[in-house]
Amino acid sequence: MIKVDNIYKEFILSKQQQKELSTKDTSSIAVRGISFECKPGRVFSLLGPNGAGKTTTLRMLSTIFKPTQGSIFISNIDAVKFPNEARRKIGFLTGSTGLYNRLTPNEVIDYFGSLYGVNEKLLMERKEKLYALLNMNDFQNKRIGKLSTGMKQKVSICRTMIHDPEVVVFDEPTSGLDVITAENIIDLIKDCKNQGKTVIFSSHIMSEVDLLCDDIAIIHKGSLLYNDTMEQFRNSMQAENLTAEFIRIIHQSQVKQ
Amino acid sequence: MIFTIFKKELKDSLRDRRTLMSMLVIPIILFPILINIVVFVSKNLSEDIATREIKIGVVGTDKSFIYTELSSLNEQVGKKKLVIYKDTASMLVDLKNDSIQLGFFTHNNEAIAFKEMKPLAITVYHNGSDVGMVERAEAYMKLIEQKANLNRLKSLNINAEQVTPLKTAYRNIASDKEMFGKLAGGMLPYIFIIFGFIGCMYPAIDLFTGEKERGTIETLLTTPVARWQILFGKMGVVVLSGITAATCSLLGLYFSIQTVDLGAGVEVMDTINSILSFQFIALLYLLLIPLTIFFAGILIPITIYAKTFKEAQSIITPLNIVIIIPAMVALTPGIELTTITACIPIVNVALATKDLIAGTLDYGLVALSFVVMVAVAIIAVLVSYKRFGREDSVIN
Repeated sequence: MIKVDNIYKEFILSKQQQKELSTKDTSSIAVRGISFECKPGRVFSLLGPNGAGKTTTLRMLSTIFKPTQGSIFISNIDAVKFPNEARRKIGFLTGSTGLYNRLTPNEVIDYFGSLYGVNEKLLMERKEKLYALLNMNDFQNKRIGKLSTGMKQKVSICRTMIHDPEVVVFDEPTSGLDVITAENIIDLIKDCKNQGKTVIFSSHIMSEVDLLCDDIAIIHKGSLLYNDTMEQFRNSMQAENLTAEFIRIIHQSQVKQ
Repeated sequence: MIFTIFKKELKDSLRDRRTLMSMLVIPIILFPILINIVVFVSKNLSEDIATREIKIGVVGTDKSFIYTELSSLNEQVGKKKLVIYKDTASMLVDLKNDSIQLGFFTHNNEAIAFKEMKPLAITVYHNGSDVGMVERAEAYMKLIEQKANLNRLKSLNINAEQVTPLKTAYRNIASDKEMFGKLAGGMLPYIFIIFGFIGCMYPAIDLFTGEKERGTIETLLTTPVARWQILFGKMGVVVLSGITAATCSLLGLYFSIQTVDLGAGVEVMDTINSILSFQFIALLYLLLIPLTIFFAGILIPITIYAKTFKEAQSIITPLNIVIIIPAMVALTPGIELTTITACIPIVNVALATKDLIAGTLDYGLVALSFVVMVAVAIIAVLVSYKRFGREDSVIN
């Protein structure tokens, strides 16, 4: 379970950043008072255009960033106060996730297994299961730098799941991937849901959202514009399709501002 | 956890060609190659200069004093062929186009000069860019002057000792070790400071900026490992790489000296071997370890700040010069390890090592240097810790 209550994230801008952004403001608010809840066994989708604050929100959930204000609970653990404990419950995967090219998949998985404190016996069992599931046995000892994008994505998935997290955070997990490779991610999200894990993923691809998510939140310029079930979203649609409805909500918020 | 990160980073670094080159390959092979080239070139050059037949121009006739004297010199000072010129202008033209290598011109009438016991003014023309020629001319003139002096004293009926009121002897009471330490000892700290820094440089860029650029840092930060543990694990590899590079450069230098004939003589080799005691090596590492931690501590915040490998390199490259300048202090004669210099980071290590080689070490000053280095290393590590804790620095 993820419980987010009124979180804010403010970044202090350096002089160089002020110059790059053509602003005289000394700080920038990326997320403004967002609250939502993601339940186990359900897929929560965070939707928003580029620069909406999706990645910052997910980075706060994953404890990479500390919220300026507000609280985050991951499986009933206060992630702001006890980030290390919360991290044990989280699996984190992004579309731009890199891997250590000079290591082999086996070495990477062993490394992350150790970092998560998975004991050797359990690590072997999980590796065996995940390798079989993801068809990774043939390339487990090849250098990652020599693997295809699809193979690398499988390694990333295995790395994310090796400690059997209760909560899985996906930040635009399919961005930059071809349809076949992206399917691995779609399958993973479905598996996580079936296993009763809490899944949150950010995207701006409506077809993915339609296919996978149970709950939806739309975020724009750091503020939450919509938060309900996918079913309710479909029922209350004023536009003719999901993409058009998403655009309509964004435009409506701009008009209000 | 620190060790888990250290092990992984070490494995990763050892598979990186750039790190391997800067940590092991270059420090080990640089000195053997460099010393072999220098010895080969200088040996061939000096042999060539010594044995080369040169053409010497003399303005005058084959009966002139300088012509006769030059012809009478045996070939021990080098082979020569004399060419007679009528005037200096034509001789200088040939000297300029390298048809001759030296030119001799006698200004006054030699018969009158000798008769009246006056000095005979001789100008020796040479081309300064022609290596070894001025030395050859000096060698000729030394022999000719000695002979002329003796002849004049003889004609004046004077014993040479009568016009030599003083006979001064200079005796060096410094041991070979001390001499070696003071003259060549400055090189050693210079070498290990430079290589220690270069050894730290690539792993630091790769393990911090590289991790940001490749997008692997984000996942690492979501693991239940404290940031300071990640920092220390990575820093351990940077420090180890710096120490390894410095050690390899010294080993490379040592084996070069042992295997290449430097013409240094048995005494110098014995001196070098006597310097390399267990105590020397232990004290050297006592200084080298905090120095390398200090290097890692100043490099890591830069590599955390930089967004790309290129940016990190462009910031660090000028820093090389900042490190070289204090390292060069040890090469400057006259600067010694004092209470003041012991408080200047890098300079203190360079000077303490120089004294360590010379065997003139003041343990109080070494202890002060060590304390100063440990203090600056701690400060540098704290700066790294603070920088690594900043969200905006760690994530691009």
